[in-house]
Amino acid sequence: MTETCAACHTQTGNSIAPPFPKLAGMAPDHLAKQLRDFASGARKSEIMYPIASKLKRNEIDPLARFFSAQKRTPGVVTDPALASAGETLYLQGNQEKGVPACAGCHGPNGSGISRFPMLASQNAEYVVQQLQNFRSGARSNDFGLLMRTVTSRLTDDEIQAVAQYVAAMPVVEFGR
Amino acid sequence: MNRLAVVAFSLMACVVHAADTPVTPALDAPIQPYAPGIESPDYIWNDVKGEELMALRANGDPEQGKVAYIVCQGCHGPDAPGDEAGFYPRLSGQRASVLIKQLADVRAGRRDNPKMYPFANEHVITPQDMADIAMYLHGLPMPERHGEGPGSNLALGAKLYKADCDNCHGANGEGDEKKFYPRLEGQHYRYLLRQTIDIRDGVRRNANPDMVSAIKDYSTADVEAVIDYISHMKPKGG
Repeated sequence: MTETCAACHTQTGNSIAPPFPKLAGMAPDHLAKQLRDFASGARKSEIMYPIASKLKRNEIDPLARFFSAQKRTPGVVTDPALASAGETLYLQGNQEKGVPACAGCHGPNGSGISRFPMLASQNAEYVVQQLQNFRSGARSNDFGLLMRTVTSRLTDDEIQAVAQYVAAMPVVEFGR
Repeated sequence: MNRLAVVAFSLMACVVHAADTPVTPALDAPIQPYAPGIESPDYIWNDVKGEELMALRANGDPEQGKVAYIVCQGCHGPDAPGDEAGFYPRLSGQRASVLIKQLADVRAGRRDNPKMYPFANEHVITPQDMADIAMYLHGLPMPERHGEGPGSNLALGAKLYKADCDNCHGANGEGDEKKFYPRLEGQHYRYLLRQTIDIRDGVRRNANPDMVSAIKDYSTADVEAVIDYISHMKPKGG
């Protein structure tokens, strides 16, 4: 099964193609939830639906554990100036607009917890795409509408900036 | 299909998918409801019922509260220090009953806070979480540093505090768990100033009417003096 995943996510879950997420190092609970959401349609993806919906029930957790156990590779920053602007938003949020610091849920080092995914060294293009999808409502499997609320308060520039910062964050171990 | 074809197909699909994404936000962000407050004739400020009662009666577990608090700390900060600019209050060391009541009032729409509501509604925080979070926050130590006022008219502030405030909030601003009176010691000057003016002016709709009467004739300079005095109290906590 990992062969199918590897086509886009690579054998170690460190996708090289910018639109695809890195899976390596993420909490197994998070990965398993996303696979189940893809299969049920709770998270919509033309790519992942046909794959996830064919997974047998007992295949999901081992896959999630496999990719969770892989070592994540450092992220690629394409715009260092933007990354530095994104750092402020990530660590402090925006009080005027009521944007919480990303660090609150995802951790100051981007390690994530089981409910909120690891972000450190993630592909920036994927992060931008997901933040935009939350904002438009195209992605709606967030816990308690939290990400849809947060992104509704973000500008395009802020999304680009925070995605660059996330890519720039050093590789970390999951959990805290 | 060989692997290369899968990659090529997937990339294509991805580009198509990205182009299809709507540009305008389509989110129905959770909108804070409205509940009658001080503007309403039959308002009872401390009428405890529903989830607030459940949370007050629940046995709050600080360990669980630490986990449930994760969704709060993006704004209130790790260990809930709040901020000196007064956007967010210090929550550490606050009375548990006060935390539960204020949270319940935001959730019910009796304390207006549309920015906070989406992070505090029932889809994110359960009544048990409310109890757990309150116990967790109450047990946190109060940092020594907090936003203080200019200290320019402490004598007037002390006089006003003794006349109108300490009967309920206590000599050192320690508050009262049973009566939902908040702890004031250690709170940020700017936050207290903003809230007190809102209470005086009827903007904070979940206020205690007794407090509104107590300060209704306060000039803004009076409010500044008394809050300045409060902000110079040395937090004892507990």
